This record gives sequence, C-alpha cells and structure tokens, in this order.
Amino acid sequence: MSTGPIGMGQQSEAEREEFEKELKRIIEANNNAGLMLRVIGSLAFQMHCPKYGYLQAAMGRAYTDIDFAAYKKHSREIKTLMAGLGYAENREVFIISEGNRAIYENSHNKLHVDVFYDKLDFCHVISWEGRLEVDAPTIPLSEMLLEKMQIVKINEKDVIDTIMLLLEHSLGENDKETINIARVAKLCANDWGLWRTTTMNLDKVGKLAVGYSQLNEENKIRLVNQVKKSLARIEAESKSMAWRLRSRVGDRVKWYKDVDEVQ
Amino acid sequence: MTKLVRNLMRPGILTCKPEATLGQVATALTAHHVHSLYVSGGDGSILGIITDYDLLAGEWLSGDPQSLEVMRKLTAGELMSTPANTIEASVPAHKAAQRMQDEAIRRLLVTENGKPVGVISVSDIVADIAKKAITRRETVADVMSDVFLTCRENTPVASAARAMTTSSWRSVLVVNPKGAPLGVVSGLDLVRFCDFESDYQKITVAEVMHAALTIHMTATLQEAAQKLIENHHHRLVVIDPDQPDSIPLGIISSFDIVAEMARPESIWQKKQSNNQAGSSSS
Repeated sequence: MSTGPIGMGQQSEAEREEFEKELKRIIEANNNAGLMLRVIGSLAFQMHCPKYGYLQAAMGRAYTDIDFAAYKKHSREIKTLMAGLGYAENREVFIISEGNRAIYENSHNKLHVDVFYDKLDFCHVISWEGRLEVDAPTIPLSEMLLEKMQIVKINEKDVIDTIMLLLEHSLGENDKETINIARVAKLCANDWGLWRTTTMNLDKVGKLAVGYSQLNEENKIRLVNQVKKSLARIEAESKSMAWRLRSRVGDRVKWYKDVDEVQ
Repeated sequence: MTKLVRNLMRPGILTCKPEATLGQVATALTAHHVHSLYVSGGDGSILGIITDYDLLAGEWLSGDPQSLEVMRKLTAGELMSTPANTIEASVPAHKAAQRMQDEAIRRLLVTENGKPVGVISVSDIVADIAKKAITRRETVADVMSDVFLTCRENTPVASAARAMTTSSWRSVLVVNPKGAPLGVVSGLDLVRFCDFESDYQKITVAEVMHAALTIHMTATLQEAAQKLIENHHHRLVVIDPDQPDSIPLGIISSFDIVAEMARPESIWQKKQSNNQAGSSSS
C-alpha cells in the first residue's frame, strides 16, 4: 500500500480482499458463538454500501484495521473467540481504557482488530446501549453516520465513508435500511456539543462532495440534498433545557474532547 | 370568585444589568433569597431573565482553567433567556399555572397594559394552595405536618442548623438508614454552640439530639396537648402503628395546635355568649 494520511492511500485489490476475508471469518465465528460483535469503521461502510462501496478504492480510501462495537458484558467471551481465531489481546489497552476498548493482534496475518465496548468515546460519546441488536453485521446506519460526524477534525477518509453512506441510503425515522435521522436528531437535541460537531461536519461533507471528480452531477445533487434534509431534521427536533443553556455559551467554551485525551 | 394573576403575584421586579457577571448575579440571588433576576437595559426595558439554573452552567462548563476564565467573564446579558415570558395581570391565575405546566417554566413577568408590574412564580401558586383550609381538624392526623425535615445520625450540626434556618423549621428528625426515628434536634439542642470556636463540623446530630416522643395519628388534639405539657416537649413524632420502625407519618408541634386554635372556624375564635363572656358572678 502507498503511504499517505492514515486510512488514505492506494491499496491493491489483494490487500483489500485480505481484510474482507478476515472480517468474514470473524463474523462467522461471532455468529456461531451467538455473540454481538458489530462491524464499525471503513469495512462497515463497505459492507452496508454495496452500490457505492467502489468509491473507497476509487477515492484512495484504504483499510487499516478491523473495528468492532460490542457490549462490555461479552468482553470475556470475545477474548476467547478472538484467541480461537489466532489473536492475542494487548492487555494494556484494555486496562488503561478501563475495559472500554480491546486491541487484538494476529501474528500470522499481521492484522489487528479494535473492539469498542459499550460506546465510542472520542470527541463525543456515541453509546451502543440497545443499538447492537438493531442491525447486523454492522452497527445501525445512524450510528455509522454519527461515528464519522462526531470527529471534530474530520479527515478525508471519514468524509469519503460519509459520502458513500449518504448516497446509498435514504433518511428516515427508523433503522430498516434507512439512516434513522430521527435518532441522530434526538441525540443532538440532548447534547449541544454533539449537535455543534455533527452539523458542522454535515455542512462540510456537503461542501467537499462537490469537489470530487469521482462523483457525477447526479451524485453531487443527491449528496447536497441529503445534507440539507439531515440538517433540517436535526434543526426541527425540540431541544432539551441543557442544550438551550449550553447553546447560549456557544463556542466560547470547548465543546468536545481532544482525541489525544482518550486514545 | 376566580383569582387573577394580580391577586397572587409579587409586585415589583428585581433586575440586574446585562453586564453583570455570573458571580455578581449569584450574590444578588442569594442576598434577595430569589431564584431569578430580570435583565434590564439602560432604558429600563426587560431584555431577558437569568435564573439560578442558568448559573449552573458556570460550574458545569468550568472543568479546566481556560473554560473557568471564559465562564468568569460571561455576563448576564450573554447567558440570559430572552425574551422573558410575560402574562397580563388580569388573566385568571389558573391560566398562569397552566402555562407553567405546558411550557415547563417556573415564573412569568406580570404586565399591566404591557408594562411590567410584578412576577408570578410556581412558589406563589404553591403558597396559595397551602392557604386552602382543611375542613376537619379533630385528631393529630388532621393537624400534623406530614412533610418534615429529616437527616441521618452522622449529619453535622452545622448542616442541621443551616437546613432549619433556610426552611424555617424549628427541628430536624434524626432517622436510621431505614427511616426509623432515633431522636429530634431542636434549636434548643443547638444553642450551646453559640460561642463554640472549634470545628463543630465534626459534631454530629447524634451527639446532641434528644429522644423523640411519639403519638398515634388517631389521638385527639387534647391527648397531644396533654402529652406535650406533661413531658415538657414541643413536638411529637407521629408513628405508623403498623410499621413503627419505618419513616414516621408526620410531626405535630405546639405551633400546629396553636395554629389550629387561631383558625377563624376554630372553637377558640367563636364569639362567646353574654353569660359566658368572662362575666363575673354577683
């Protein structure tokens, strides 16, 4: 793979297939064990966007690892499952993160797997509570959108994944092959910081999308409309008292965690 | 007759300037024993309202020195809610109450022909509810206070003193983890600390409380008065006869009985007939 910013660079078809094959092996083992590992990250977007998944390779979006969401109550069973697949846990990460994250390394294929327990806790917290039952083998589409939109300093790789998601799926009020924008709006209506970052990034995605030569005019129009509709739905949601109070302080006080603080 | 907003409101409006800092607003709220101030412009117009809830943002968002510095500089004008919710003085009070429920707001600026004249708050409506007379007043259950102050045995006496002062209660009931009464702390139990220089945060209510005298809720007021006098106590703890070790049902004090005697409908307030009215026999 040619080097570039993390998650960007030309990756051969064989390299991509290696990740996809390994992901399939882990998912099968998870299903056989009756666990609830759900795919997040670049591979989740690839799996859930069969029509527009080609854009990752076309736009230079590379796989770097395999990421999962899971419930902490299953961490012991997941460790056993991963050991059975030839992965050794980096115990230090699990301890330092207070059980919120586990990293597994496979000495044979050199791939590494990241498991985020109960939540994604980077710039903002995205909770998995009651959400891993909703979709499979990935997290629900609304959480996939939020996974990217919660990043304050959003990277090109995250913009590409979001573009694919917004092109592939319609917006709606449920999770059935639909980006549950009602859920996104509700979460944003309770947390001004998440609202601030999400709306900022949606706007950014809409603006950046028009500059990609890999997208045709029809794609660009759809993306701009999807962003507009998302922002309008988020705006329409009734805001909590805490949101309104926090909004009066605005950007004067930092509204997100620096990623370095939590990594 | 339908009560109007003007019948229940408190006349006058406490205000602060838009440039007041959160610290200054906190000082004013505490000094006036109120939960909100209206923010007024140079021309006296009401720009908005700032409440104790808004000030929580100061603590909430000052987790690091940089944020604290920002929040210290934030002004009432920047943090206030605007515009202030208003209601005309001539509107029936129940409509103000309905608005408070529907809009989840605690106070309304009262106007007369559009000009601010006072404030009506949830507390004013609650105070009006408290005035409503209870018809039957014969037993301890009719007169006792069934909402009262409690604390655990390890509570510092300073905390008890503070709670008694802010709530205008004259005693605190000390209970165990399950709510069973252990004793009572009254003002008289605390006066010994008047000249106390050492750190009395370390002294607990368990060290100063006196035994709780109990009574059943079905007892008559005469029985309650007799028990208070015979034991030289000022209050009785009303216990649940079925669950004596659970949290008590209430407290009846000498003041509750005197308040009953002062009611216009009370037998103590009825005009006496001529031959009973203190006439001396010849």
